Amino acid sequence: MAASLFSVISRFLEEYTNTTPNKLKLVDAYLLYILLTGAFQFLYCLLVGTFPFNSFLSGFISCVGSFILAVCLRIQINPHNKGDFLTVSPERAFADFLFANTVLHLVVVNFIG
Amino acid sequence: TASNFQFVILVASRLVLGAHALTPSHHLAASDVARLEAVLSQSFTDLQSAYYSIVGLNKLGVSVADTDEACRFLQSNVDPTSIASLFYAAEASQSLSGCEIPVSNETRDFLLAAVSEDSTISQIHNSVSTLSSLGLPLASQEVVSALTSRITKEDNVYAITLALQTAAHLSQQADLSGILEEIEDLAARLDDLGGVYLQFEEGLEATALFVTAAYALSDHVDMEPPLKEDQVIQLVNSIFSKKSWDSLSEAFSVACAAAALSNNRFHVPVIVSALGPATVSHRQPLLQLQVTNVLCDPLTSASVVVESASSVTTKSAILNQSPFSLRDGIFELNFMNSQPASGYYQFAVAVTGDSRLVANHIELKVKVSTEVVISNMDLSVVDKDQSIGTKTTRVDYPSKAKNSFVADSHQNFAMSFQLVDVNTGVELTPHQTFVRLHNQKTGQEVVFVAEPDSKNLYKFELDTAERKSEFDSISGTYALYLIVGDATLENPILWNVADVVLKFLDEEAPATVQTKTLYVPKPEIKHLFREPEKRPPTVVSNTFTALVLSPFLLLLILWIKLGANISNFSFSPSCILFHVGHAAMLGLMYVYWTHLNMFQTLKYLAILGSFTFLAGNRMLAQKAVKRYLRLSTEFQRASLKALLHKDGE
Repeated sequence: MAASLFSVISRFLEEYTNTTPNKLKLVDAYLLYILLTGAFQFLYCLLVGTFPFNSFLSGFISCVGSFILAVCLRIQINPHNKGDFLTVSPERAFADFLFANTVLHLVVVNFIG
Repeated sequence: TASNFQFVILVASRLVLGAHALTPSHHLAASDVARLEAVLSQSFTDLQSAYYSIVGLNKLGVSVADTDEACRFLQSNVDPTSIASLFYAAEASQSLSGCEIPVSNETRDFLLAAVSEDSTISQIHNSVSTLSSLGLPLASQEVVSALTSRITKEDNVYAITLALQTAAHLSQQADLSGILEEIEDLAARLDDLGGVYLQFEEGLEATALFVTAAYALSDHVDMEPPLKEDQVIQLVNSIFSKKSWDSLSEAFSVACAAAALSNNRFHVPVIVSALGPATVSHRQPLLQLQVTNVLCDPLTSASVVVESASSVTTKSAILNQSPFSLRDGIFELNFMNSQPASGYYQFAVAVTGDSRLVANHIELKVKVSTEVVISNMDLSVVDKDQSIGTKTTRVDYPSKAKNSFVADSHQNFAMSFQLVDVNTGVELTPHQTFVRLHNQKTGQEVVFVAEPDSKNLYKFELDTAERKSEFDSISGTYALYLIVGDATLENPILWNVADVVLKFLDEEAPATVQTKTLYVPKPEIKHLFREPEKRPPTVVSNTFTALVLSPFLLLLILWIKLGANISNFSFSPSCILFHVGHAAMLGLMYVYWTHLNMFQTLKYLAILGSFTFLAGNRMLAQKAVKRYLRLSTEFQRASLKALLHKDGE
């Protein structure tokens, strides 16, 4: 059981490193960073307490929101999905990403207290 | 029976109307009239004050101290070139007997010339009054036409009042109907305050002068003024509510109004008040009423009758149509002859005899008081299980029982007595019947209420065991007092009846007697401020801050490993501007967190954002063009290659 799981994972990693274009790997690294940041914030909240609850919420929402926006960006610039996004060029996707992040972080900074 | 029925309706309607009619709530008492006289008796400073004093006192029926001196004063101070001066002198001299103001022909012509449309109403009034007082002829119709035209130009209360006063001097043949209508118009301008007062907004003096002028003119033409009875009473309330007057002219106006209201042909308000408190008793059986006009002169010609007198509590009628008898200007009635029980009685009094009387139905509340006597005061100590017979001791007021009574927790102390009216022998139930026990040693005092049973026999029982909490279980000798009081009792009673020794179970008694400290400062309440929340230690916070920031390092490492670089950075202006603008927006976020509020941030963000957007738009467009070109060149190269390859084959 463990052996098959191990082989699936190693196969997946191999395919990933070989087939994914570099651009997407950059975005994936960014996604990993966001994920870890959010996880560590949540860990703090679990261990130490929710004292400035608004700060915790805004930080966590910032991570979640950024993750979602980055995923959208990744989907839109993936050359495989070009057929689904004929009207959206990669530049347009990036511009949307920047705008949405600005709005998100405006709200986050407002709430962080 | 038909006539009986009609009579009942008539009486009923009269009672109903009587019940709704207003009676004066303010009037001059004899002391107020004396004060008014004193104000008007001040020595004269000038001709105007002399006029006010002399004529004012005359209206009150009093003459000036020294008439000859007053006359000389008038004669020496009159100024024949001033109409006002002539007016004051002439009117004042009219009030002094045997005083004449000599007037030359020129003065007379001067006065007659003043009667024209070009003079003010005040001037017309002064000259007409002067001519009338001096007995000189005047043309009434000319005066009427001059007044009528002036009234339209001078529409204020004082002027029209003077016009009314002027018309009262004119011949009755003249057509005064136009001026007579002004009374009604002016009365409509009076302000009704709470249904009690009726006065001009110009004040007391204007109201009083209006009343004087209206009645003067109405008497002169013998037509009833268009004032309803309630309005007359409201005017009385307004004019006589003030008992000390700011100026001589105000006092003068009140004196004139009082004279007008006490002596005119149509409305004479009646003032009815009880002499002293409206209380009768066996010692003072007479109910005495003062029935006067507004000047406090008794209406000796009137007949005063009690239409009905009924008890307030039982509503049974005691008197019906009983007359008062007049003695020394006071109307008296011996109410005790009807042997009323003690209490309050509602009297309806009617003053008749003159058709001019206004507010002549009065409601009065009369108190009948009596003296009480305590009879059959029996004290006893009763065993609760009633095994030992009771021993009652009779005590007579005001002596005290010789022996003290002892009651412990198995016994009750009982008291019974009767309260009887000393004159009629009727049992009474006064408002206050208290039994007070006072411990002389500790100063404690406990008060109970004694209640009457159905036969009006008062009983009081003290259950020692049940009531121990009121006494704080302190045994000892208590002095027992009986307190009897009521508004209708003339002799309230405080009687030390006996001494009672109360024995409580000793265990329950407190060690010391706590005086009830009600009025000492209470313990201070300390305000608890909101505790700030507990924070984790700084070490923990710092550790987690580092932990949360660590993935950023990981990100940089991964990006470098993946080969991210900025070698393709173009230094076009739009690119630089875009990065600068974006960096500024991130900086703005930080500044927002530390200093700004949402509105300021939005303002700056709008500016920076639009700038960054324009720069970014250009930059991305350039990138898109580059990518497109690259792709197209690649495509062209690839297709060329394929073509050559094919050819090469």
